Amino acid sequence: MQLNHAQRELTLKIVYYGPGLSGKTTNLRAIHARARPEARGRLLSVETHEDRTLFFDLLPVFFTSSSGFKVKLKLFTVPGQVVHDATRRVVLQNADAVAFIADSRRSASAENNAYWRKLRANMREIGLDATQVPVVIQFNKRDLPDAQTDAELDEARKKGGEPVVGAVALRGEGVMETLHVLLQSAWRNLDERARLSRNISLTEKEFLTHIFQQMDLTGTSLESLYPTAAGRPR
Amino acid sequence: MSADKPGAVGSGPEHAGSVLQRKASLVDMLDPLSFGDVVDSLGELYRVGIRVLDERGRTLADAKGSNGDFCGFVNTTAQGRARCTALVARLNEGPLTPTQGAQVLPGTSPLGGELLGQPCFTGLRYVVLPVQWEGDVLGRVVFGPFAPEELADVPVALAELEGLELERARELLAHVGRQSEHRVVKMLAHVAQVLAALLASGQKAYLTGQLHLEAMLETQRDLEAQNAQLMRLNQRLKEADRIKSSFLGTVSHELRTPLSSIIGYSEMLAEGLVGALNAEQMQFVRTIIEKGNTLLKLISSILDMSQIEAGKVRLAFEWVDVQELVESSLTSVMPQAQRKGLTVKVHLPEVAQPRVVADREKLSQVVVNLLANAVKFTPGGGQVEVRLSAHGPQPGLVGEGYRIEVEDTGVGIPLDQRERIFQSFYQVDDSPTREYGGAGLGLAIVKSYVEGHGGQVSVTSEVGQGSCFRVVLPKEPPLSGHGPAYIPPPIDTDPERF
Ligand SMILES: Nc1nc2c(ncn2[C@@H]2O[C@H](COP(=O)(O)OP(=O)(O)O)[C@@H](O)[C@H]2O)c(=O)[nH]1
Ligand SMILES: [Mg+2]
Repeated sequence: MQLNHAQRELTLKIVYYGPGLSGKTTNLRAIHARARPEARGRLLSVETHEDRTLFFDLLPVFFTSSSGFKVKLKLFTVPGQVVHDATRRVVLQNADAVAFIADSRRSASAENNAYWRKLRANMREIGLDATQVPVVIQFNKRDLPDAQTDAELDEARKKGGEPVVGAVALRGEGVMETLHVLLQSAWRNLDERARLSRNISLTEKEFLTHIFQQMDLTGTSLESLYPTAAGRPR
Repeated sequence: MSADKPGAVGSGPEHAGSVLQRKASLVDMLDPLSFGDVVDSLGELYRVGIRVLDERGRTLADAKGSNGDFCGFVNTTAQGRARCTALVARLNEGPLTPTQGAQVLPGTSPLGGELLGQPCFTGLRYVVLPVQWEGDVLGRVVFGPFAPEELADVPVALAELEGLELERARELLAHVGRQSEHRVVKMLAHVAQVLAALLASGQKAYLTGQLHLEAMLETQRDLEAQNAQLMRLNQRLKEADRIKSSFLGTVSHELRTPLSSIIGYSEMLAEGLVGALNAEQMQFVRTIIEKGNTLLKLISSILDMSQIEAGKVRLAFEWVDVQELVESSLTSVMPQAQRKGLTVKVHLPEVAQPRVVADREKLSQVVVNLLANAVKFTPGGGQVEVRLSAHGPQPGLVGEGYRIEVEDTGVGIPLDQRERIFQSFYQVDDSPTREYGGAGLGLAIVKSYVEGHGGQVSVTSEVGQGSCFRVVLPKEPPLSGHGPAYIPPPIDTDPERF
């Protein structure tokens, strides 16, 4: 996080990590589509020249708190391709929370494992303490025939402390839920370590409400949590 | 995370300045030349001045409107100039809030935030459009001054300026472009749209470039770390190698001393110094002497090689007569050659006294080693020939010099082994029941010594037909002058050239 008291600005960095083609960009697209234009920037996708592989994506989401603090979320994706390890590290630096987007298909297990190890290695290399940075796992592409079952997801949940969310990012399912868990974990973690709530006079509830009020939550499990979502101006 | 100072907590200093952490800035995202052209053409299209400034008040583009003559005329008066300067300063750097006469215009600004209208004391007007990007104010666009459509006559404030010729001012005012409110709104929307498009592509290009750079630096950092690791490893290996050499040196020395005594006492026995020996005793003692000498030679060459590898060899250069050196070397192998029934031929150059700067002892060892090898690997009835000749300048050598060739009709060396025979401990015949003895050090020593003289050694051979070793020596070793010099340890010569 970057906290600038003089300018009353807070910036949080959220990174979507995972194998190539697991649906990281699709997550950001879905968020972009559901966020009110006043509350987000453009979705910036940077591609490398030699092929279509995305280099990284960036989507900013922002609001101003009632106490006048400008809060900005920078959502990044990292390139999945092996050759971009250095870029992955650069993007991952100073992340406040990481979403690990896994491909739910059984055939993708090896790939998921490999990238999970890569995430751990990358975090170590840039000095991010895995116990200090919350990681949320999304099992994406649950619509595909070979996808793991709910029972298998439960198994995965038991294997570690990270929250696990199922998703069909292409249809926007589970994307908001993933973001919600991510932001909640990020906030709680920073609050614990830097007393963020008191520091900028913003509670977790207000923080999340400011963001998710700006999102179209139709059809998500968050709809009832943020009932004023129906496009009321700030 | 970082509080106020970027990178203050939780991240190394090398990670503090990532472009992904920095706030976007207009200067980074816009190409000044092409952006200037675009703004100029917009100003021309709408006949209005357009100035783009970043958040620090720096001008990025400035298109002139149709107000130049009029404003210039007003500025000829001291009061006019003062008021104009104050107003422009407020427009460029003042707060983006309705203060000091500015008013919020109805509707939202096309890039977000509020549009400000700012009247000028001349009756003209300005509009200020904040440039908001991803929720941050990056700068502003100042339009004007233009004449509002409803402007009838010069205002009182202008008439009150001391020394202004009002009629002339009226005349010039008529030339300032008039803008209807509708037209202003359209213009603002158009400019904002163009700006947004340029910012989007500019930001993308900027981020890509910077991130590429950062990724490269990251890669470089990585490689440097790996490199350092390898260097440490290499250092350890060299150290181990040095220890091995010094150990070998010590051991060889410790072996030689008692061995010399064994040989010495045996010789005294053989010479009958302590009484006559019978025939059988004499034969035993001679065998002890012979095997002792073989062992002594072996130990000597191990000692030589270990000193070469430890970088401890010094060459004592002096003028040496090569012909004399070749002839005296021959005498040391003649008895063995005669015993095997080999023909030994010698070709020497016509010129008298072919002299080179060399270490007499080491060069002699080179020739003896080559001759001894030839004799050793040539079956009975074969031939060993040594040739000495002068040569002109050669590639890889400094100046002229001499060539010493030792040719035999021995077993020969297979092609794939011709490089390796110059390595320490290498044996062409690697079988446990080796026909030819030796530690495999002779040629490695030859190579080191020859190269220590700035020369080269090479071999041509045909299996079953024989081999020819050729040593090329410069008249004077490069860089040496006449004095002691180090032979660099062989392990360091090739990989660490720079
Ligand atoms: N069936 C299915 N396909 C998906 C889903 N999410 C993403 N995809 C597809 O997977 C491919 C890769 O997605 P993308 O977001 O570009 O992957 P990234 O490399 O992780 O950014 C695209 O063709 C997406 O349309 C999903 O939930 N279900
Ligand atoms: Mg992608």
